[in-house]
Amino acid sequence: MSEPLLDVRGLSKHFGSTGGLVQRLTGRAATPLIAVDDVSFSITKGEIFSLVGESGSGKTTLGRSLLRLVEPTAGQIVFDGTDLMRLDPAALRAVRRQVQMIFQDPYSALNPRLTIRETLAEVLRVHAIRPADRIDARIAELLSLVGLPADAADRTPRHFSGGQRQRIGIARALAVEPRFIVADEPVSAVDVSVQAQIMNLLLDLRDRLGLTLMFIAHDLSVVRYLSDRVGVMYLGRIVELGTRTQIFAAPRHPYTQALLRAAPRPDPARRTTQAAIRGEPPSPLNPPKGCHFHTRCALATDICRTVAPPPETVAPGHVVRCHHHALAPV
Amino acid sequence: MPILDVQHLTTQIPTARGILTVVDDVSFAVEAGECFGLVGESGSGKSMTVKSILGLVPAPGRVTGGAVIHDGTDLTRLPQKAMNRIRGSAIAAIVQDAASALNPVLRIGHQVAEAMLEHGIARTRAEARARVIDLMAKVGIPAPGARIDDYPHQFSGGMCQRVVIAAALSCNPGLILADEPTTALDVTIQDQILKLLVALQQDLGLSLILVTHDMGVVAQTCQRVAVMYAGQIVEMVATPELFRQPRHPYTMGLLNCVPRIDGPETARLTPIPGAPPDLAHPPAGCRFHPRCPLATDACRAGRPALTEVAPGHFSRCIRQDALTADMWEAAHV
Amino acid sequence: MTEAAIVAPSDRPRPELAAMRPSVWRRHGGLITGAGILALILLASIFANYLSPYDPLQQNLRNTMQLPGWDHPFGTDNFGRDIFSRVLHAAKLDLMIGFLCVLFPWILGSVLGGIAGYFGGIADTIIMRVVDTFSAFPFLVMVIGIIAILGPGLISMYIALTLAGWSMYARIVRAEVLVVKKAEYVLAARALGFGHGRIMFRHILPNVITPTIIFAMTDIVLVILSTTSLSFLGLGVRPPTAEWGIMISEARGFILTAWWMVTLPGLAIVLVGLALSLFGDGVAKWLRERG
Repeated sequence: MSEPLLDVRGLSKHFGSTGGLVQRLTGRAATPLIAVDDVSFSITKGEIFSLVGESGSGKTTLGRSLLRLVEPTAGQIVFDGTDLMRLDPAALRAVRRQVQMIFQDPYSALNPRLTIRETLAEVLRVHAIRPADRIDARIAELLSLVGLPADAADRTPRHFSGGQRQRIGIARALAVEPRFIVADEPVSAVDVSVQAQIMNLLLDLRDRLGLTLMFIAHDLSVVRYLSDRVGVMYLGRIVELGTRTQIFAAPRHPYTQALLRAAPRPDPARRTTQAAIRGEPPSPLNPPKGCHFHTRCALATDICRTVAPPPETVAPGHVVRCHHHALAPV
Repeated sequence: MPILDVQHLTTQIPTARGILTVVDDVSFAVEAGECFGLVGESGSGKSMTVKSILGLVPAPGRVTGGAVIHDGTDLTRLPQKAMNRIRGSAIAAIVQDAASALNPVLRIGHQVAEAMLEHGIARTRAEARARVIDLMAKVGIPAPGARIDDYPHQFSGGMCQRVVIAAALSCNPGLILADEPTTALDVTIQDQILKLLVALQQDLGLSLILVTHDMGVVAQTCQRVAVMYAGQIVEMVATPELFRQPRHPYTMGLLNCVPRIDGPETARLTPIPGAPPDLAHPPAGCRFHPRCPLATDACRAGRPALTEVAPGHFSRCIRQDALTADMWEAAHV
Repeated sequence: MTEAAIVAPSDRPRPELAAMRPSVWRRHGGLITGAGILALILLASIFANYLSPYDPLQQNLRNTMQLPGWDHPFGTDNFGRDIFSRVLHAAKLDLMIGFLCVLFPWILGSVLGGIAGYFGGIADTIIMRVVDTFSAFPFLVMVIGIIAILGPGLISMYIALTLAGWSMYARIVRAEVLVVKKAEYVLAARALGFGHGRIMFRHILPNVITPTIIFAMTDIVLVILSTTSLSFLGLGVRPPTAEWGIMISEARGFILTAWWMVTLPGLAIVLVGLALSLFGDGVAKWLRERG
């Protein structure tokens, strides 16, 4: 078992915890929005780890916190032995070469004023990755790595489709030669046929370049295709964590099971009339006490309403946060 | 007698780049009480088809050919005033982004009642109010009596969509056109809304045209489905048959590139190479041929028509009998 | 497909699709017209020295108050100066003032607004309170006040118009920066370790410029009108310099006897204002369509 490349311990992000001026004057305590609540997981080198959850689960905030694009409130982010939380801005800048991000919306992920060449060259120049005379060659290499023609370099983003823009975003992230990439829903905003192309590209890049990926998504079928390990998030907490087989073949948390039931299967023979889960997700501003999921859970009992379930290991590498996971049907 | 008969519908939009034919000779019929699916990716023309049926094609686009027969009348030839009487009452629409479909400064009750009062279904405010509470209960909004006076911002995305559905049902339409009603929702809420739509459709005997890009949604809700590509219907058949034996390379390509939640874990997806065509200058002949592993010279010339290649199964592919399950795999070797 | 009886309540033939395509003129007519007029005026003002038949300052007391005619296309004023030449030379002055007195506020406002929007916090608070203070004064009142302190003259006018005009640009730029700051390409720039300066000048500011350009177009019109108003009030350019506002002011008393002295410079102002409005709207429309 190799040393994890990324080890996240107790990461939390609270918004609005300092309170505004008015609240301080009136003496009213501000209720912070807990977007990420004491999350811990680790990722080994070469692995694709997926974080899946619906809107409000905190997965995007978590992804951005790993790069400190959003400053975490507490916790440790140990990347290759160094705690990123302890780094000053200069040291952090050096680490930025190793950890990069791919974004969700291909239509706002690229500066509309710059040509692709300018965008990529800027990265190469700022980080002094190539001497000036070798920059154009490297740009051509990057474009071919993501499956784009070399003449794409001299156009602005408007000339490209969503899928192509997403590839350019990937090329930009690869330009710094990172070891770890956080992909924040990179296929959610593109068509199904393009989605398959991008997913295969990510798998190829992982194999060829030895990358480690953290993939954030809401679509379980995509997650199943790409991941080695999966974490399921609900309202800021990871409620279940395990390998792909464990999560998809033997899920233990009622929310995971509901997610699997709810995903529409392209199989007309298997139709259900009953909705997978009842109720609405609670507001992150006012999360339920105890286990966040109890308001929608068929198994909820008193303990669920008062005590947040601690993480429990039910199999090697398979962790669940549920008081009744043993009873949950598979 | 179908409740809606679309015949050779064509819609075009003039732009600086050229004239885009966004709906090209689309024909299908929806029977009473049927759930009919229109599936395709972006740019396939599925949303534009619905807009054309409703007479809501954004200017400078226009329906330029064909007919949409509803209750003996060609909707495409009706003046706006007559169309207004039909929209919302006989034919209702549900849009994709429910939160923006609702006016943020008007109460929910008002918005659901609006169509009823406009079309004369309810004559007094009190009557409308009672019906609204009834409808809200029917679409599964808890405590409708209390929430009828709330504003849209007090509702979540899923609840907003339920309100939109209630408004659509308010005048007892015979046909509902739903344009990607669940795409913007979380998967658990999407599941609830889809099940609700299907249940309502069956209970009330409505016809439903469901536009979506998700093959899973189609499989779970529709009885018959038409697959659209580049403005044309390329395949149309009963749903089980589409998944059991697709008869168009595009359909097969779509089914092959969608990741599955069940099934074998190690299967590699085979994406469809290339990208959808520019509608201003579509390829000659079959629109799909640049991306199709079965393309021959015959495919590159002429205009393949939608023909019945098996009972009740229509396809626009002239080589569909050469389709095999591993055709896509073979093309990539 | 089942055949159903087709009832067509309206037998109107469908319009030809080719006829539906709006021509270039329809789409950009305003822009073209405005640009054309502006180009003409600009050329006229640049070549004023060559185009004017007479020296704008040369008096000819035997030829005062002449009606517009072959000799003097716009007539002469009460000092016998050729009005046409004066209008041309005034164009140069007025257009330059209009341009510079929009350029300086634009630069000042954009930088301050950009800083306020990007850094937020205490910088934002301070800058926006200053903006609020400046905005509280009516435009012309502030300009007149500043000129009263500095004394009338061209330089004072530049300073006063800049100080009175920058706050609006700051507001616009700050609002746009707040939006663009959240765009994913800015987030990507931060993730790539780019410094604040690079992000601000290469990624944010170029993308917030468009609304300011649109605003600047209308602002030029207002500035030129303010200039002429100030000169009319005696607070701007001093006689005998040729400037549209001064020309109108000096000709006030002769409205009934020599209408051309007032009207023709006035028409020049209207024409420039119209051209700038058309051009500004046209540019705004073109930028919007370009996306």
